[in-house]
Amino acid sequence: MQTLTQTGQILLVFLLQDQGTVSYLLIFVPFVLFLELPLYFMTWFGIFRYLTQDTYEIPFISPAIPRVTCAITCYSEGKAVQNTVISLLEQTYPGHVEIIAMVDGVQKNQATYQALKDLIPQISSYPRRSFIIIPKIQRGGRVSSLNAGLSRASGEVFLALDGDTSFDNQMVYRSVLHFQNDNVVAVTGPMRVRNAKKSLATRLQSLEYMLSLQVGKLGLTNMSVINNIPGAFGIFRKSFLQQIGGWNTGTAEDLDLTLRIKQYQGRHPQLRFEYEPGAVSHTDAPETFSDFLRQRLRWDGDLWYIYAHKHRHGISASIMGWGNFLFILWYGILFQIVMPFTIVFYTIYMAITQPLPFFLASMVLVYLFYFCLILVQFVLYLSVLSDRKWEDCSAFLVLPIYPLFLFIARLWSAVALLNQMFNKGHLDSAMAPWWVLKKGK
Amino acid sequence: MSDALIFFSHERTNLLDQYSDSFKTHVYHDYAEWKKEKILSPAIIITGGDQHYIVSILEKIRRDEELFASLCFVTELIPASYSNLVDGQLPQPLQLKQIINQFIDLFSAYKNSEMQISHLGRLIKYLWLRPNFILLPYQEWQHVRLYRYPLLETLSQDKSDSFEWLQSLSASKLLEPVALIDRQRECTFCHSSHLSFIDICPSCHAIDIDLQASLHCFTCGCVDVQEKFINSGALICPKCNTQLRHIGSDYDRPIENHSCHACHQTFVEPNVLARCTVCEKEMMPNDLVSNRIRSWKLSDRGRIIAVRGEVFDIATSFDQLNFIPKDLFIHDLDWLLISSRRYPDITFSLVGIYFINLTELIDLIGHSQLLQMLESFAQRLRSMLRTPDLSTRTAENMLWLLLPHTDAQGLSSFQKRIENSMQLLQAEADMKLDCRFISVASSQILKSETAELLLARLYGELI
Repeated sequence: MQTLTQTGQILLVFLLQDQGTVSYLLIFVPFVLFLELPLYFMTWFGIFRYLTQDTYEIPFISPAIPRVTCAITCYSEGKAVQNTVISLLEQTYPGHVEIIAMVDGVQKNQATYQALKDLIPQISSYPRRSFIIIPKIQRGGRVSSLNAGLSRASGEVFLALDGDTSFDNQMVYRSVLHFQNDNVVAVTGPMRVRNAKKSLATRLQSLEYMLSLQVGKLGLTNMSVINNIPGAFGIFRKSFLQQIGGWNTGTAEDLDLTLRIKQYQGRHPQLRFEYEPGAVSHTDAPETFSDFLRQRLRWDGDLWYIYAHKHRHGISASIMGWGNFLFILWYGILFQIVMPFTIVFYTIYMAITQPLPFFLASMVLVYLFYFCLILVQFVLYLSVLSDRKWEDCSAFLVLPIYPLFLFIARLWSAVALLNQMFNKGHLDSAMAPWWVLKKGK
Repeated sequence: MSDALIFFSHERTNLLDQYSDSFKTHVYHDYAEWKKEKILSPAIIITGGDQHYIVSILEKIRRDEELFASLCFVTELIPASYSNLVDGQLPQPLQLKQIINQFIDLFSAYKNSEMQISHLGRLIKYLWLRPNFILLPYQEWQHVRLYRYPLLETLSQDKSDSFEWLQSLSASKLLEPVALIDRQRECTFCHSSHLSFIDICPSCHAIDIDLQASLHCFTCGCVDVQEKFINSGALICPKCNTQLRHIGSDYDRPIENHSCHACHQTFVEPNVLARCTVCEKEMMPNDLVSNRIRSWKLSDRGRIIAVRGEVFDIATSFDQLNFIPKDLFIHDLDWLLISSRRYPDITFSLVGIYFINLTELIDLIGHSQLLQMLESFAQRLRSMLRTPDLSTRTAENMLWLLLPHTDAQGLSSFQKRIENSMQLLQAEADMKLDCRFISVASSQILKSETAELLLARLYGELI
């Protein structure tokens, strides 16, 4: 109790009497100034750039409607996979949409396979849609599924999609427009959490998707850098995909592909990634915190695998160009790999060196700082980006605990990285059988 | 006659040398030539590869009053539709001799009767002479009923409809089915299987209907055709202007997705109408007649007719025993059961005779001898029974006797007599007609039992 009163007093001194605040806050300068704030400013800048373009540039809509292939990687989704296929059949796109569903390890996943077969009679009632099921008897993982789909694809535009993700009916129409520009090789769009209302964990993740995936990606893409084309929702020019040889074995094949495209950009700076806010996808987030942490253990661990092993030699200015190199150095290496450890060390350092009330007071300050930052970000998102404003308003409820959630996620990220460094966590992925993963670098 | 062999050949054949050692061969160029001499033979051989020639001779043989049942062999392949009319490829002389001998055996057992004039008699004779013959349908899409029985057509000299004939043959238990080959629907009016199925509007029965993609807006509940929703690449509800983005959360597809251009009704599923392409009549699919296409063989009853020249079964031997149908027998037994329970002075007895080895005996001594044996058994039995006694049969080899006014004592003496006469009968013949007896007097019957239960229980004890 006494500690809390002291904490309160310290906070009052800081906030109201302005004694030693400046010197204290300077402790956080390396964090905020070099890591956090520039990223926020950059994304905000990107969003304004997008808004001005959106307002003043009249989109040219050409009559070209290329054939499109949607490749869905299916595993144990069961009946839920039908939503994905139906949402693709429902696309308003006037051209031909070829849907290829690859069922990995079909003997184990009979329910998924059956659910897909049950859809076949419905296909004929949708004009200009075709449906192919590829049952893969030998389980080969996501990469092998995607490459199998790519080899069967007949469309000019190839959509790599997940079996547990469904799409707004304008998704294909809006994303295909970007490919009229010959330099565009990959497009992605916002991902929303479909089961946001299920639990607190999904609500928080839903907010995270809005702020980091939607605001972040849009901003970054408009600054001509993108961190990742997500595996659940990536739209590619097929000829380009074939040229770079499709997906490569190993986990985090999406980040791997993104980096390889960036390495192409070094030689062909005109190649572009784009972000289409109108191509909306809806995915299921883990419903419990333990599932969430397990998922992040894999995702964040994969970052180390990709940056420190697979692409150790690929990350250089000469290969991917200065823009991409600096961005990856700063966002990928510093922000995603160094920062989690820095946060852990700083927190421990503060806890040890500072008296407890002083430590708690600084934590509250950090919280307030992030809360303000996120509030700005969220209001920005809601006012200019959100396509379902009313629905998204409910995220205000979890906004106060969101900084806490982010803090825990960052700490966990450090755990995931350590797990990867010492435990070779990438060989433990559920995305492919071990004998496939072993073949990766 | 037994060593005569007829060859039909319109060209020189070198087969004759092979067969002339063991047979007396006669060669004819055509049917008319044979008709002049009318030499009979158990086997006929049609040589050469001229299908037209083979078919024309074959048709004439099977339609001939005297030759129709003869064995017929060919030396080349013949059209599939005629394969049921021949007895296969010509075997080697030795083998042929065997086949002919077996044929003659069966022929001598066959009892010629007036029936032979009718096509029914011809069919029975034909099947009797070929013990393992299976009557097969032939599928022909041009045929009104899609299937036909070429053998039935020729034997009836095209005078009767094969399917109608088959129906009466199976109803009178002369033929029994072997396998179900197909089941098809036929026109109610002309029995054609050439049908077409048309989707029609359930309300006005017009055929001008179409699938129509419709949407149902969740916001305002508006249901309309998809075209009205499409607005520059997006789906926008024409009523409430909401943008419909995701199926399942903003909109769905109503199941009523058919519409009629005549009456503008929308509906889930159209009605289906069947139209006969032959008589052009229309009917509902439920009204179509189901026709089972089977393969058939001669039944036991058919074989009995073949050897006796008339309808015969165990029951006919017992005609004078007041043989009655099973249902009636059960009814009478029930009546007696009830009467005896009410009035203890009414007694009766029930005797069951089960012939164990009928089927084995057929194989051992043949039908004719077995029938003789049963006939003499029936005669003995007849002498033992009294006028009010009743009999029935619940299976081919299960005979029941109902003896009114017979108590346990009378029953045992009756059984003794019947067993004695059985022993006498077995002493006369070389082969044993094995029987098992079971009997029960009214006093031994449980109160809860009905006639049907009683028969079933006793039958169970016998086998």
